[in-house]
Amino acid sequence: MFVLIAGGGRTGTRLANLLLAQNYKVRLVEHRRDVLTRLHQELPTEVVYEGNSVDPSVLEAVGIREAHAMAAVTSEDSTNLALCFVSKNIFEVPRTIARVNNPVNAWLFNDKFKVDVALNSADVLAHLIQEEMSLGDMMTIFKIRRGHYSVVEEKVPAGAKAIGIPLKDMGLAEYCVIAAIIRDGVMTLPRGDSSLQENDEIIAVASPEGAQRLAELLAFPVYPVRNGKKRE
Amino acid sequence: MNYIIVGCGRVGAELCYRLFKSGHTVVVVDSRRESFNRLHPDFRGRTLEGEGLAESVLERAGIQEADGLAAVTNSDTLNAVVAHAARIIYNVPTVVARNYDPNLRVVIEAFGLQTVGSTYWGAQRVEELLTNPSQKMVFSAGNGEVEVYETLIPEAWNGSTLGDLLKPLTQCYPVALSRAGRSSLPEADTKLQTGDLLNVSSTFEGIGALTIRLAGKAEA
Repeated sequence: MFVLIAGGGRTGTRLANLLLAQNYKVRLVEHRRDVLTRLHQELPTEVVYEGNSVDPSVLEAVGIREAHAMAAVTSEDSTNLALCFVSKNIFEVPRTIARVNNPVNAWLFNDKFKVDVALNSADVLAHLIQEEMSLGDMMTIFKIRRGHYSVVEEKVPAGAKAIGIPLKDMGLAEYCVIAAIIRDGVMTLPRGDSSLQENDEIIAVASPEGAQRLAELLAFPVYPVRNGKKRE
Repeated sequence: MNYIIVGCGRVGAELCYRLFKSGHTVVVVDSRRESFNRLHPDFRGRTLEGEGLAESVLERAGIQEADGLAAVTNSDTLNAVVAHAARIIYNVPTVVARNYDPNLRVVIEAFGLQTVGSTYWGAQRVEELLTNPSQKMVFSAGNGEVEVYETLIPEAWNGSTLGDLLKPLTQCYPVALSRAGRSSLPEADTKLQTGDLLNVSSTFEGIGALTIRLAGKAEA
């Protein structure tokens, strides 16, 4: 597989390294002088190509006609959009992936500009932070379907509302399944009549709303006051 | 008519003023407030500070009712993307994108957009005036790929036919021949006279070749 990367910032460099480790053929195009100096320290020489990635003659020179995918990850949203459009419309690249820098521009990253996959890093990060804040001790193990679902893990604290209630009666949200219960180091796959005990660890697959509801069921009855100080 | 201009640089500011003077309603969008200082003091139109790609900005500019949009920033990709969005998403009837870097003109053309390349066009005009001062350009089509020139027939070609003059030239076609204030559609066997004004439709290469040919016979 041959992947073209446009933009040699942190994202582009990291991506190039990940793909090289998997033995992909990779070419990264960048034109900023100062960035190029760093790229040559971090990537093999043959991977880095100096030029303006949106210039079709540059794309042609790096072999875009043979590329299987274009990853447009420059810091300019308009450049990423134009790159996807040109890659697909002129050079028939089968798959285009673009980075969204400013979330207000996300509405354009779709079929209108021939973007197959849009990655909105600010948005993903903001949602993760929001989730971490609202879900207490729940830990996200990994995300599926680009963050629409998560596999989460949480320990059942003493006094949690859910203790002793069979799963089927617990009032879990529709998009939430408790997939495993780990008790004293032994994992079991629960059924509807299984119930939770203090100090159980559970693994669940849930949508954001499902995870929110689960967190409520597993929460301490009262939130402890932070630092003993009351907030005004 | 309602026009939206994205980009208030020198081209944008001049365009806004011209449209305003012709009686149109103009909204000009730029991400930097200082850019609006370039607008002519007499300009009366709406200025909108914001990113030209943002949906909310385009809608506040009134893109749903716009009769035309021109994207004239100094970023070719921004111009192409804004113009494409205006055409495809909002069905704006007339859309023009400025080409800034001549190397990126193909990018704008890939979107199938009408484009004006001020850099390329300006450089070509200056080159014409420098290298072919005897040829006067009277009409420019597209981005100057084909232009109509007016050229004076020198004494050396007096009595020759138009066919003799133009036959070896592949990128130069006769349009009109003016003699004593009257013009006619010339034929290949039309006899040329000193002082005739010949209009030709030609590429840049074509007019260069014609210039050399007109001068060549005089020297020979």
